[in-house]
Amino acid sequence: MTPHFGLPEFGFLLRGLQWTVLLTLVAFAGGCSVGLAVALLRTCGHKGVERITRIYIGIFQGTPLLLQLFVVYYGLALTGLKLDAFVAVAIGFTVNASAFLGEIWRGAIQAVPRGQTEAAMALGLHYSSRMRDIVLPQAIRISLPATIGYLVQLIKGTSLAAIVGFIELARAGQIVSNQTFQPLLVFGVVGAMYFILCWPLSWWGSRMETRLALANQR
Amino acid sequence: MQDQILIEMNGVQKWYGGYQALRDIDLIVRKGEKIVLCGPSGSGKSTLIRCINRLEAIQQGSIVVNGHRLDDSIKAIDVVRQDVGMVFQSFNLFPHMTVLQNCMLAPIRARRIGKTEAEAIARKYLERVRIGDQAEKYPAQLSGGQQQRVAIARALCMQPKVMLFDEPTSALDPEMVKEVLDTMIGLANDGMTMICVTHEMGFARQVADRVIFMAEGQIIEEGAPDAFFRNPQQARTRQFLGEILAHH
Repeated sequence: MTPHFGLPEFGFLLRGLQWTVLLTLVAFAGGCSVGLAVALLRTCGHKGVERITRIYIGIFQGTPLLLQLFVVYYGLALTGLKLDAFVAVAIGFTVNASAFLGEIWRGAIQAVPRGQTEAAMALGLHYSSRMRDIVLPQAIRISLPATIGYLVQLIKGTSLAAIVGFIELARAGQIVSNQTFQPLLVFGVVGAMYFILCWPLSWWGSRMETRLALANQR
Repeated sequence: MQDQILIEMNGVQKWYGGYQALRDIDLIVRKGEKIVLCGPSGSGKSTLIRCINRLEAIQQGSIVVNGHRLDDSIKAIDVVRQDVGMVFQSFNLFPHMTVLQNCMLAPIRARRIGKTEAEAIARKYLERVRIGDQAEKYPAQLSGGQQQRVAIARALCMQPKVMLFDEPTSALDPEMVKEVLDTMIGLANDGMTMICVTHEMGFARQVADRVIFMAEGQIIEEGAPDAFFRNPQQARTRQFLGEILAHH
């Protein structure tokens, strides 16, 4: 006898949602830290270093995320490094996110007027202070709409983790749907859960964009 | 010590790719001297002062500031930048910081002095440029003239030995030029060593010890303002003065 979609099934979806959120948070935090390093290296002024980071970004933006997850999960296992599914996808998403966030922030850093850096240099401020006190605070504001937009993509993108057997929200939905034969209902609930996560962020992002445009008009 | 040499440029050459921006510049600036640099746009006057605090690198020649020879070493650049203040045409205040924070940042980060002392210094110089009551505002809330006066105060907070002004009034509405020039005149009267790139010839007459005219990356002519304006020696100088003084 097939079970109907009830509380236990809903609970199962909620646990999937938990993993989706957790994976997003880990990937976003990891992507932010590595991405910041990528953005700084990409704008450091040293030709060789800038080229290497450009290649890094090119590789991870230019190949499918799916492939990258395969490489981390199965590829590393071949070399004897057997990773837990969560650790593997967290690494895969971190590396991928770092390439995209690094490129978003590279653009934002370069969008801060050159005069800001010159004024800071003329005042005798070192690179670390110029970045921390002057350039990055302005660059982060500039990049906020794009960064939030990427976060929304990341939330939905975590469904790819199912490919290596990691049970997040989309995979949980598939399992429940297979058990209950109520795909419309189950995927409707799954979709609503994604929507509740993503829509407020999208709304916040576009509000940021409007406010930024207004601030720039002054 | 009135004769102490603060800046010495010798045979300075600078290229941007194939374009030569500075040709064989020799310049000596003594302590307390006020120098006005003028010339047509593209003549290299801004480039010249930007070389003094190493915002631009030179390819040949030497620059010595307050006894420190500018080379590629970070240490030399650091020492020189702490001694040299700069005011830009476009103010370049930090928009995400209040006026007070703009003034306190460099003394804290570069001179490594305490917060209380930095604030006292900042408030002193903000008073001096008569903008002390705006200390808590953000740059965008101030007029252009006020912003430029904050930029002057911000540079002074590092207690520099020389101040460089790169067309400080060119981006200002006409009614705000005077308040900035008055601030600069006050600074000059207090004995600050200054190099000003400006087309304000009234200012040059009033405070400059020497006026230097540049064209095509070279120093064409220099002299005391009286002689310079009354009796320029070079045809190129006469032409330039004719053009800019025609409307005054």
